[in-house]
Order: sequence, then C-alpha cells, then structure tokens
Amino acid sequence: MPFDLAGKTLSPFLKEHIPGLYAPVGKNLKKEDKTNPSNALVHIKDPNTKYCYRHRPDSKCRRAADETKMGTIQRELNNLPSTDQEAITHVWSLFSAAPAKHRELMLQGIITQCCFPQLSTVSREVQEQLKIDFIATLPVELSYKILCNLDTVSLCKAAQVSRRWRDLADDDVVWHRMCEQHIDRKCTKCGWGLPLLERKKLMAWNRHQHTAHANPPTRSAEQSAEPASAPAAQGSNKRAMVVRDDSGAKRSRVQTSPANGRAQLDEERKFRPWKDVYRDRYKVGYNWKTGRCSIRTFKGHENGVTCLQFDHNILATGSYDTTIKIWNVETGECIRTLRGHTSTIRTLQFDDGKLISGSFDKTIKIWNWHTGECISTLQGHTDGVLSIHFDGCKLASGSIDKTVKIFNFDTKQTWTLRGHSDWVNHVRIDSASRTVFSASDDLTVKLWDLDSKQCLKTYLGHVGQVQQILLMPPDFEPDEDPNADVGDAASATSGRGDSPVPLPEQAPDSRTAFGPGFSDSSRPLPPRYMLTGGLDNTVRLWDVATGRCIRSMFGHVEGIWGLVGDTLRVVTGANDSMTKIWEPRSGKCERSFTGHAGPVTCVGLSDSRMASGSEDGEVRLYSFEGNSLEERGTPS
Amino acid sequence: MAEAKPASQKIWLISNDNATMEVDRVVVERSMLLKNMLEDLSHTDITQDNPIPIPNVNEAVLRKVVEWCEHHRNDPVTTPDDESDARKKTTDIEEWDQKFMQVDQEMLFEIILASNFLDIKPLLDVGCKTVANMIKGKSPEEIRKTFNITNDFSAEEEEQIRRENEWAEDR
Repeated sequence: MPFDLAGKTLSPFLKEHIPGLYAPVGKNLKKEDKTNPSNALVHIKDPNTKYCYRHRPDSKCRRAADETKMGTIQRELNNLPSTDQEAITHVWSLFSAAPAKHRELMLQGIITQCCFPQLSTVSREVQEQLKIDFIATLPVELSYKILCNLDTVSLCKAAQVSRRWRDLADDDVVWHRMCEQHIDRKCTKCGWGLPLLERKKLMAWNRHQHTAHANPPTRSAEQSAEPASAPAAQGSNKRAMVVRDDSGAKRSRVQTSPANGRAQLDEERKFRPWKDVYRDRYKVGYNWKTGRCSIRTFKGHENGVTCLQFDHNILATGSYDTTIKIWNVETGECIRTLRGHTSTIRTLQFDDGKLISGSFDKTIKIWNWHTGECISTLQGHTDGVLSIHFDGCKLASGSIDKTVKIFNFDTKQTWTLRGHSDWVNHVRIDSASRTVFSASDDLTVKLWDLDSKQCLKTYLGHVGQVQQILLMPPDFEPDEDPNADVGDAASATSGRGDSPVPLPEQAPDSRTAFGPGFSDSSRPLPPRYMLTGGLDNTVRLWDVATGRCIRSMFGHVEGIWGLVGDTLRVVTGANDSMTKIWEPRSGKCERSFTGHAGPVTCVGLSDSRMASGSEDGEVRLYSFEGNSLEERGTPS
Repeated sequence: MAEAKPASQKIWLISNDNATMEVDRVVVERSMLLKNMLEDLSHTDITQDNPIPIPNVNEAVLRKVVEWCEHHRNDPVTTPDDESDARKKTTDIEEWDQKFMQVDQEMLFEIILASNFLDIKPLLDVGCKTVANMIKGKSPEEIRKTFNITNDFSAEEEEQIRRENEWAEDR
C-alpha cells in the first residue's frame, strides 16, 4: 500500500532534512564530530536549506501558532479513520521538513491541482493569516516613520493597541514631529493649527537654557546680562520651535551659585513629553474651534473704550473718558489709571517698559506704565491722533490732519507723509522692509517707503472708510478661491494713482512691483498679504505686491472698527456690537460673539485669549484655556 | 564617473534566491546604495556572470522593486535631506503607486525593508504611508484585527490608557 511507499520515500527525506529528529542522534553527531564540528553549525545556519530566511528561528517576524486554528484542525483530523490521519500527517511532515525551495514547489503543485472552491478556501485562509504587525516588527526607525504619517486621533488610537505600540506611538520622536507640524501654524495636511501658548514660560525657558549653556565658561558676566537680553530672545524665538515649557525655569534663573549647572541640567531633563505639550495645545485649539471659553469683564471706565492691548500679565485700555487704565489680566482689578490727556484717547501700544498713547488732544504721550508717570509728550500733529505704532526706534502716527508722521527716537528726526485726503485711521510699520502702511477715511490704504518717504502704492477697493490694517505673517498662504473678487483688481492702481495700468495676474517679479527702492535684492520685501477692515462692513485680503484684492470677507452688518489676527485666526469687532472669529486661509467666519451693549471699537488676540472693548465702557476678555469653560458664541 | 554612460547601459542584479535580472543602469540608480556602489566601479565590472548580489531580497520582491524603479526612472532625484518639505508631506499617494502597493502584507513588509536597505527613499515613503493608511481612522480593536496583534493590556490598563488618550477623541 501507499504506506510502504511512504515509508521508503518519506524516511530518507525526513532523515536528510531533519537529522536531529529522524536520524540517530549519537551516530550522526559522532560522524560530524570526526570530520568538522563547525560544519554542522554552518549547515544549520544556512538560510536556504531548512528555513526560508523569514522562518529562521532568529527572525523576529515569524507567525505565532494560532491555537484556535490548531484546535479546529485537530478535531477535524480526529474524525477521520486512522489510516487517513496517518496519510495526512505524512503529507504535513514532508512539507514541514522540506526546505524553502521544496516547500514552494510543493505548494505550487498543490495549488495547480485545486479547483475554484478550493482556491477560494486558500484565498480566504491567506487573507486571514497573512497579517504582519508592522509597527512591532520593522526596525524602530521605520516604525517611527510610519507613525509620523498619522493624525492626532489615529496616533492616540495606535497607543492603545498593545504595549509595544504604546511605547512607539507615545514616543517623543513622533510627537515632536506633530508639534512641529501644528504648533503656531496651520498644518497643511489637516488644517489644524495649535497655539504656541505660555510665552511667559517659554521666555523663562529661553533664559534658562541660555544661562545653562553660558554658565560653565564665563559665569558672572553672562548671567547678569541675562534678564536684559531676554525680551529680545523672546522676539526672535516667537516662531522657533522652542515650545517646551519648564516650570522650574523661573526659580533656576534666580540661582546664581556656580554649582547649579548640574541642577539645571537635571531640570532640563525633566521636560514634559512632547505628547503632553501637544495635548495641552490641542485642547486649547479645540476650545477655540468649539467656542469653549471663560469670560472676564473689565469695568471701570466712565465712558466708551476706544483702544486696548493685553499680554499675559496686563490689559491696557484707553477711553473717551481721557484716561488709560492698566488692569491685572488674572484678577480683573484695575492696577493704575494714567491721567494727562485732555481729550479722548484713541490709540495706545505698550511693551515691557513704556506705553505710548495718542489722543484727540493732538498729542502723543509716552508713559512709564509701571509707575504711571508721563515721560514725554510729542506735539506735531495739528489735529487729533487716531493711531500710533512703534517698532524699535521708529514711531508712526496717523491723524485727523490727514498726515502720517514718523518719529525716529534715535535721531530725533521727524517726517511727514502726505497723500491721504482724509483722516488717517491706522498706521502699521514694517521694520524689515522699511515701509509703513496707512489706512484712511479717503477709502484707500497706502504703502510708504521710509527710505524715500514716497508713497509706493495705493490700494483701492473699500467703499467705506478704512479703519484697520493687519499685515499677515510670512507663513500665511490663502486658499485658492474660485470666487475671488476679480472685479476689484481693475480698481487697484500702482504708483501714485497715475494712469491705471492693468495689473498682471501674478507679477513676474514682485520686487519690481515696489519700484527702484527695492532693486537691491538684500532689502526685504513688505509682507505678501494684508487684511484691511472698513466701515463698508467688509474685511479685504490683498496681495500687497500686485495690489489685487484677493477676496472680501462678509458677515458684519455694520462697519468694522477692530481687526487683529495671526496665522491661525483673525478677530474683528464692529459697530454691530459683535466680535467675530475668522479662519484666515479660507476667509470663512467661524463664530460670532455678542454681549456688548454698544459698538465694539477694538479687539485684541493672543494664543489662548481674545479681548473686545466697546463703547459701553467695558472690555470682555475671552480665555480659551483652563477649566470650567463653557461654549459661547454662535458658530457660523 | 566622468566616462560616458549610455542610457542603455545594463546592470545585472542577483537576488538572494539566485535569480539574475538585467536592468537599465538609470533604473538601478534609483537606489542610492547601488548608485554609490556603481560610481566606485568600472562599468565593465558588472556582467551577466558577475552580477551585483542583493542579499535579503528575494526574486519576487526584487522584481517588484525594479518595477517601481522602472516606472519612476525619470523622476527628479530627491535631495538626501529634504526635510524642509516635511510640513507639506501628506499621506496622499499618487495613483500609480497606490495600485502598485496593492499587495499582501508580506510583500508590503518586504518592499519596505528592501527599499530601506537599497536606500530608495521615495519608495520607502510610499510604503510607510501605505501602512499608515491601513492604521488611520481605525479603533484599537480594528487595528489589532488588521495586523493580527494580541492585546497584551490588562482590562484596567486598557481603561487607563483609553482615558489618557481621551483628549483626542472627536467630542
């Protein structure tokens, strides 16, 4: 019978391929010993004899035995007559003993014999069993590479799969990448952007790191210089990826003993995992998106609020009541009232040391806001001052007298830029390109060259008085808008509004668009995009170089007085008493907030907060960070 | 290197299971590993009888990798450290590559390993993205099912980890 035959062919086959099992051990080994002991080793290790290279015992990627499957097979087998059991077992033994090449040949032979239903079985079984745990099996750097392609939600699901997956999916490598893609910018992949957050801690961290690194070689000098250099460091790092916060940094900065280098190193090691850093920002980003916030109201002015600015510590407000108030952001308490102007305050700006204000009394005052002392008063405008903006040593101001004035604190020089035919409502300096933008009641926005003191461009399009200008950060890129306001392009003119030249869709070289003053390629160009808001109820997005109005953003039912923004969001305040949040890339309104009993005259924005000031005399500060938040506003 | 290398110059590769294949040099050069190797060799060094051995890659996988290189033979060479475009990276895969990657998990696994070994970065990217797309949008249990992974968390651990990751849920 076949079993005899099997015995004749099977045994030698098995003996050859599994000598350890089927050949008498002692004998075989003795023989090998005599010839060459290392030979046996080499023989077993050769990947092409017994194992296909993926089935080598040292390979990590072997299939685990499937107990359920084995059980089923065992039961099925048990139901058969013993002769059949033996025959089937022989087939399996042969296959299991065969080297890779033989196995393949056997499989091919079997598969060619299969009818379609059997092939279907094979196909189903293969489908079910050909599964590989890529993440756990691949070299770790490749696993990270795969995980880096996941979105936040998927990555958090991946961390729940198994221990190995959790270790890899929670790793700093992966989350650092996520942070890079999302924090302080809008991810091009998912449209999400997360705030930078905690500038205060960030600054402390910068100082701390600086100190730690400067510490060992030159200790005292560097350290004493630390606090002074910190604000500059903050500015330059605003867009950098230094987002780790360090609660111990503040304390360590105060330590001055030389032995603390070690302690600081230890503290550096106590960084929070990147996933936690990301999570905190994701929560705030989520709160912005869903309007979950807490609101604090600042009451104290005797008349309407006209202007405001806040940072993580203080809020400064100016009012029709001729005073400026400094408030504690956390407690809502008024710390100080600056008195000196004799008419409505219309504009203010502060930094760490000073506060500058402009008033209908035609003056600009510089204050030490820590003490409340007025340091100096600038008189130059012949009518009320509507807007001031300082950056470095330059101060720009716009006035009812239709002029823009530039003051240079270093050289004490003053220039007047003339060209607007009505009130100049807003001015913005762009220090890098040495230009200034101005918005006016004459319905135009103008771009001025601070070198030549000439008007470079006039932006026409608004049909109401232009109140606000917002220069967009370099990484801002608007979505393609098929319904762009092409009609408005015709009304934009370059130069001093001479003969209107039809503008090309995309200027071949945007440098030439700004004239001869920019022919030197080392001179930085003005920002690519700006937003403007006006009393025609619209916010407009402009291509600064071509002068083209790319789109208009509609939503407010009355004129816009306040406009602030960053890469992630734009906030507007309008005469309709509403504050709105917009998505800058698409220009879509995301949420509207009510609550003021009068027109919103001014707005402010930080990573986790926004503020609105109103003619009702109050400021509302919305905080999208922290606990006990409630959904506010109406989604659009 | 400086010597003229005709577009038609042939290179022979041999897989770890001893299959020799003839491939255009430009195609072979999609692999940075082989490109660098070839630059150090005279063009007469590699012949049909003296092919370049590709260890750890079997015939089926090697053919697949060569197929990809053939299709992408004219792609611009990516700079080795082009991490600046990291932000622009998406899991979008071009259509041909998507079809190319419709293979079983073993083949996908092998393609990833081979492209890593041969240093064919764009192919490695496509492979990794394909696996990422298999993970995306799935629950932990669905992921386990997809890759036949045993849940080695205890019930308490599982609950704790679920809570730790709750913040990312679509609320």
